[in-house]
Amino acid sequence: MAKFTEEMVIDYADKLLIGLTDEEVKMVLDEFEVIDKNISLVNEIPGIEKVEPMTHCLDDFIYELREDVVEESTPIDDILANCDSYLNREVKVPKVVE
Amino acid sequence: MKYMTKSIEELHALLKEGKVTSKELIKESLERSHEVQEKYNAFVTILDDAKEVEVTDNLLSGIPYGIKDNYSTKGILSTGSSNTLKDYVPFFTATSIENLEKAGAVAVNKTVLDEFGMGGTGTTGHTGTVLNPWDKERMCAGSSAGSACAVAAGVYPYATGSDTGDSIRKPAAYCGIVGYKPTYGMISRYGLFPFASSLDHAGVLSRNVKDAAIVIDNMKGIDKNDMTTWDSKDVHLYESIDGKVEDKKLCYIKEICDIENYPNASLELKEHLENFNKALEKCKKLGMEVEEVSVDKTLLNALASVYVVISCAEATSNMSNLTGIIFGPRGEGDNYIDMMKNYRTAGFSPLIKRRFVIGSYVLQADNKDRYFHNAQRVRRLLVDTWNKLFEKYDAVILPVGSGPAKLLDGSKTVLEEDDTTALEEHLQIGNFGGFPSITIPDGFVSNLPVGLNITGKCYDDANVLNIAYALESVMDYKDQIAKEVK
Repeated sequence: MAKFTEEMVIDYADKLLIGLTDEEVKMVLDEFEVIDKNISLVNEIPGIEKVEPMTHCLDDFIYELREDVVEESTPIDDILANCDSYLNREVKVPKVVE
Repeated sequence: MKYMTKSIEELHALLKEGKVTSKELIKESLERSHEVQEKYNAFVTILDDAKEVEVTDNLLSGIPYGIKDNYSTKGILSTGSSNTLKDYVPFFTATSIENLEKAGAVAVNKTVLDEFGMGGTGTTGHTGTVLNPWDKERMCAGSSAGSACAVAAGVYPYATGSDTGDSIRKPAAYCGIVGYKPTYGMISRYGLFPFASSLDHAGVLSRNVKDAAIVIDNMKGIDKNDMTTWDSKDVHLYESIDGKVEDKKLCYIKEICDIENYPNASLELKEHLENFNKALEKCKKLGMEVEEVSVDKTLLNALASVYVVISCAEATSNMSNLTGIIFGPRGEGDNYIDMMKNYRTAGFSPLIKRRFVIGSYVLQADNKDRYFHNAQRVRRLLVDTWNKLFEKYDAVILPVGSGPAKLLDGSKTVLEEDDTTALEEHLQIGNFGGFPSITIPDGFVSNLPVGLNITGKCYDDANVLNIAYALESVMDYKDQIAKEVK
């Protein structure tokens, strides 16, 4: 596994569509060093690999399918109230197809 | 006459007797909101047009309260204290807030938080730092900083909070009030801006335990819009509080509470732990058994890193919809990628951006098992350890943090190594397991309030509240209002 480097931080930030300053890059690397050290200690816990990862607080959720019935939906005018730029019911969005 | 320093029970009695009206309470609360905003910067929005409602038999009817600004409120600005949503006005209201509205509660303001709940200092909201009402040079902690500040400063008897790591329970301690998050799924998260969905809890900040119970009784309930909610119609927290705790058993953790763990302990830390020990003596006088137990230190030392890994991974995913296209102000750019990048770069604070990068790294295929899955494995080991304790004990009782509110100047904002890490961060275990968990004030250090926490097993909220209520009743810190000491 490759070490988390400055170049990788910048690359991930770019993929996440966020720009980072040099100071922010350093902050990420400094904090990650602490995490990495602690995770190394975790790796030494005997039998850790056999523990089932815990994804949620509770494991007794009741899953049920709701009836497929039409419910009242939000009025379009309410939704458009948050929109800066629209015409009738059409929202202006940036061009995504080149 | 000042009413907003009174408890919910007292205010309800006064309203029913006709000694005060809902309108008068709202007026006082709004006036106090403006004073507190001027002094401590606790609010994003003050709802000056809040209207009185009919007073019914519901204890909350007609009484003002505050809403943390990461709860969606229809027609009312809801920013999450982020520049990315600085103009966002939702078209629906969070279920738990709707439940409070149905009870007749009157919202008078929206409170500042650390941006999207991702911080523990109250310094990263887009409207600026929230100051501690006991000492303006100190932080309120976070993320429910504005709610804690306002309740402590006597703006109203309670405000909603949310808690992903300790965001209700730490600010409560720093502000000398009560902070309670119930069992995961008791309160719907629908309409609460998500941070880390497997850890996010809704809850309340109040000035006494009974008030906290009253509020949660009215916020809770199964919700078809949140599949993690469960049916709690037979849970009546307020009615179940009787103060009888003679047969209860508590434990505290040696590796967190013993002063010997901290060779370089500050005077404040020493006094905080001595104070905690006095509270334990009070528990014993109430007839409870209190025992010291030991927990694997490797797990405790890892918990803060585990929290950062899990919460950052979930946050990266949850925040990917914040592009400036479907929410928030559009960014500038020649194409949609540049527009999104401009919006996200300018909108998110540095602390949030660092969470996204770390979250993204630990989720990469090559890194996932070492970081994310191992963090989830330690989460299970910690939760199993606590559940084992709950087989023998009714609750775990521990001090909150390493002393009173920290100074705003020079305090750390990111994870750093320190021998007090487990003491500072153990409340996160309550989120890992979804345990009911309450902080109550237990005294003063350097003239500033400090708190302790009581955490119990899932669905055992009534027991946790009852223990907290009994202990609160034999201490002198119930219903306290912040007084500036400096």
